[in-house]
Amino acid sequence: MASIVRKHAVQPVRANVREQLKAMDDSAVVTAFLGGEERAFSELVERYQTRLLNFVYRTIGDREKAEDLVQEVFIRVYRHLHRFDRSKKFSTWAYTIASNLAKNELRNRSRNPLVLFQTVQKNWEDDDRPVQFEDTTSRPDDMYRKRHLREIVEESVAKLPEHHRNVFILRELEGKSYEEIAEITDCNLGTVKSRLNRARNSFAEIVAPYME
Amino acid sequence: MDCKQFRENHFAFVDDILPGVELVGMQVHLAECERCARHDANVRRSLMLFRSLPSINPSPDFGKRLERRIRETKAADMAAAQNGRSRGLAATVAITSAAMLGYIGFSLKHVDTPRDIVFPPVVAFAPVPEPIPATMASPAPEMVAALPAGLPIWTAAILAEHSPVHFASLELASFKR
Repeated sequence: MASIVRKHAVQPVRANVREQLKAMDDSAVVTAFLGGEERAFSELVERYQTRLLNFVYRTIGDREKAEDLVQEVFIRVYRHLHRFDRSKKFSTWAYTIASNLAKNELRNRSRNPLVLFQTVQKNWEDDDRPVQFEDTTSRPDDMYRKRHLREIVEESVAKLPEHHRNVFILRELEGKSYEEIAEITDCNLGTVKSRLNRARNSFAEIVAPYME
Repeated sequence: MDCKQFRENHFAFVDDILPGVELVGMQVHLAECERCARHDANVRRSLMLFRSLPSINPSPDFGKRLERRIRETKAADMAAAQNGRSRGLAATVAITSAAMLGYIGFSLKHVDTPRDIVFPPVVAFAPVPEPIPATMASPAPEMVAALPAGLPIWTAAILAEHSPVHFASLELASFKR
């Protein structure tokens, strides 16, 4: 009986802590984790898993590998959070780790043709997928057009040079400021602006014929 | 503003971060140059398309997999720490043993083996003969004269009184030595 009472008393406390963590900003959550609150890490995972996954996926173009890399990001965060400079933004740090891992992945791929082949094969399999995952309220030709356009957009992003693509995704998809992008990609502000300008122009040129 | 300047500033124009004067310059150029206007429209439309790409979500088992990997990492870290500790202990034991063996070896090397006892050579000196006081060697002439002459003791005593200091001090000196 006593244990049941205790259980009921503990659950609201847990829920309360989670709510408190949700209301905190990143810096406070990090402080809570470093103070021994393990649930704070789950809060960080929840906040960043989708964002990081999309960032890495758009950078490397392989969903499964992107998930693995995002997991690796969180493992590194978990292990090295005590070394994180808390005067800086947590999100910038997490994106820096993700960006470096994605860069390494692309480098490894270019060295290992087998991996490249497997990725291409995976994309073929994706092509064979039925159209039912699309918006079912649209007409079939609309759905095909949409899906076709999406593929073109994804392919166009993949065609951008790696350092342009990185900056492009961080700005357009993640909405990072130029300063944050400079910190994440470890280059100066001028380079970020120039890369972003070139990436936008190249992307527009590739996509333009399909939009008319 | 020419087309080159327009293209160079276009990223800031799209992001709407240009200062007032430059912004007006860009807008004027946009109205005048059809080519740049088309470029601007293309960039904006392509960006809209890219931003509207569907977001992908982590797979349902993402959290569980991450939890498992973190647990494994923790265990590996702990094992590594323990290994490090036991390695440190082993190293300490090895160093101590080596030091002890070294000390024992050093000690054994310098242990005295039983040998004949060699004493230092005995050096003997002949005692220096004590100088005999001149007065002892030759007693007072009065005593010498008195004794064989058979004089009574009173006379000898009176005679001794005449040379007491000399006689007594010599006696004392010889006694002290």
